[in-house]
Amino acid sequence: MHTLKGTKLAIFLGLFPALLIYLGIAIVPIGLSLYYSLMDWNGIGSMSFVGLDNYLDILKDDIFWLSVKNNLIIMVTGLAGQIPLGLVLALLLNRKMKGSGFFRTIGFMPVVISSVMVSMIWGMVYNTEYGMLNNVLGLFGAESWKQNWLGDSQWSMLSISIAYIWQNCGLYMVIFLAALQNIPDEVNEAAALDGATGLKRTLRITIPMIRGTIMVGVVYSISNSFRVFDLIQIMTGGGPAHQTEVMTIYMYNSAFMNMRYGYGSAVSILILLFSLIVISLLNRLGREKNA
Amino acid sequence: MVRKSKLFHLIAYTFLSLFAIINIVPLFWMVVNSFKEEQEYSRSPFSLPSHLQFSNYAGAWKVANMNTYFLNSIIITFVSLAVTVLLGSLAAYFLSRFTFRLRGTVYGLFLLGMLVPIHATLIPIFLIMQKVHLLDTRLALILPYTAFHLSLTVFILEGFMRGFPKDLEESGVMDGAGIYRIFWSILLPITRPALATVVILNFIYNWNEYLFALVLITSGSLKTLPLGLSNFAGIETASMTLQMAALTIALIPIIIFYLLLQKQLVSGMTAGAVKG
Repeated sequence: MHTLKGTKLAIFLGLFPALLIYLGIAIVPIGLSLYYSLMDWNGIGSMSFVGLDNYLDILKDDIFWLSVKNNLIIMVTGLAGQIPLGLVLALLLNRKMKGSGFFRTIGFMPVVISSVMVSMIWGMVYNTEYGMLNNVLGLFGAESWKQNWLGDSQWSMLSISIAYIWQNCGLYMVIFLAALQNIPDEVNEAAALDGATGLKRTLRITIPMIRGTIMVGVVYSISNSFRVFDLIQIMTGGGPAHQTEVMTIYMYNSAFMNMRYGYGSAVSILILLFSLIVISLLNRLGREKNA
Repeated sequence: MVRKSKLFHLIAYTFLSLFAIINIVPLFWMVVNSFKEEQEYSRSPFSLPSHLQFSNYAGAWKVANMNTYFLNSIIITFVSLAVTVLLGSLAAYFLSRFTFRLRGTVYGLFLLGMLVPIHATLIPIFLIMQKVHLLDTRLALILPYTAFHLSLTVFILEGFMRGFPKDLEESGVMDGAGIYRIFWSILLPITRPALATVVILNFIYNWNEYLFALVLITSGSLKTLPLGLSNFAGIETASMTLQMAALTIALIPIIIFYLLLQKQLVSGMTAGAVKG
């Protein structure tokens, strides 16, 4: 192929448009974010260099730390809900039983629906006066259990987490299921010969076989938890009184509500840093265990 | 042994059914109640509608400007998708079928994009669009949608094209076809399965996108479906059944799409997550 005339030019022309759009809009802005994060700018007046002041201000803001805490809640509940549930579902569906296709279809459905719709549907489920949840509780006469699910800070983060798990669980289910189906039959046959059956085989052989995939799921779940925005923005907008605010919403509000573009950029860099730190820690942990 | 496995089956099915019910009930509850009038809903939220009330649908379609949002979503989704797949497959072709200096670098750059969270780029993109006067235009969304999905598109297509035998292009070269001719008439047709996957993936990601739309679009006449719906919810808090009807209108096409193309969607979105 490379003997053709004009190859170099053709390669350049073929790659250039994709690279231009991609670098200009997906990569260069990260550098710009870093640059803006050192500036004080309201978008209209002139930009002034403030060094690390934005970062220092952020770290001094209690609302920022509240949003970090909420991100950690989403991360932990997401991990604790999605991974085990996804794994159990995958293990069950991996046995060739009737209806497994049906359950898979239903299980993955929320993943395909936009998070805007998921948030709106769950917002209606949690609605205090007319919501499904309180209606169901009323049906069973459990009037005292009725709550203001999204408005009461005791419940709001938990309510959001449940919607979050509902939305994403199916993804982990199919990821694990695909890994399970790749386990060669010989492994299971050998295990059967050794007398390993049922729960013992699942715990000792099947789960260790897909350890790598579970790890991928864990990393994905963590990095996903730092990206949560739509769900909370639509269900509560971060309220009441910042009680459900996460870092992405804190960033959005600083930049697009308070017009502090430098400050908002600094938040976005911190989010990037946090997620990179957590993921690299996790990778190191995984490697040590393997060694 | 037999009794044990029967018990296991019972537990397994109970668990799976419970899971399925939890997944379905919120959607089902919404669709059923969208056919009721507001009073009927607040009186009896769990009964089936006494008669099918389509007034919510007519209302939602008009009040929520559903036709505008659908049209915008369709235009933005498909234009972005077409540009992404065209540029992505061209890039994948050169990355997979040619050797040249910087090949590794370019490929690595594209992969990097799968790790970039979009909110880390949101503020600069907003400021860039403002500067070039693209803010609040369809192009303001088409550009980022294209840029952010090129990574996965190139990744999937490059992997697929790499698998073809080396002498594939030879007949084309013998016939005197140029590099682009070979791409168009030999390579692209046999890449169809992978193209189907990236088209479906791009479609679903673009169709559902919210954050960029929220920041980059302000005119009601340019809003996409997710953005329009979320605004509608903020305004029409008084009428839940109207909201339900609007959501059902938006839900039905996506459920049909999912049921028709389930296999590619599931495998594509899984690959997208695992690699991303």
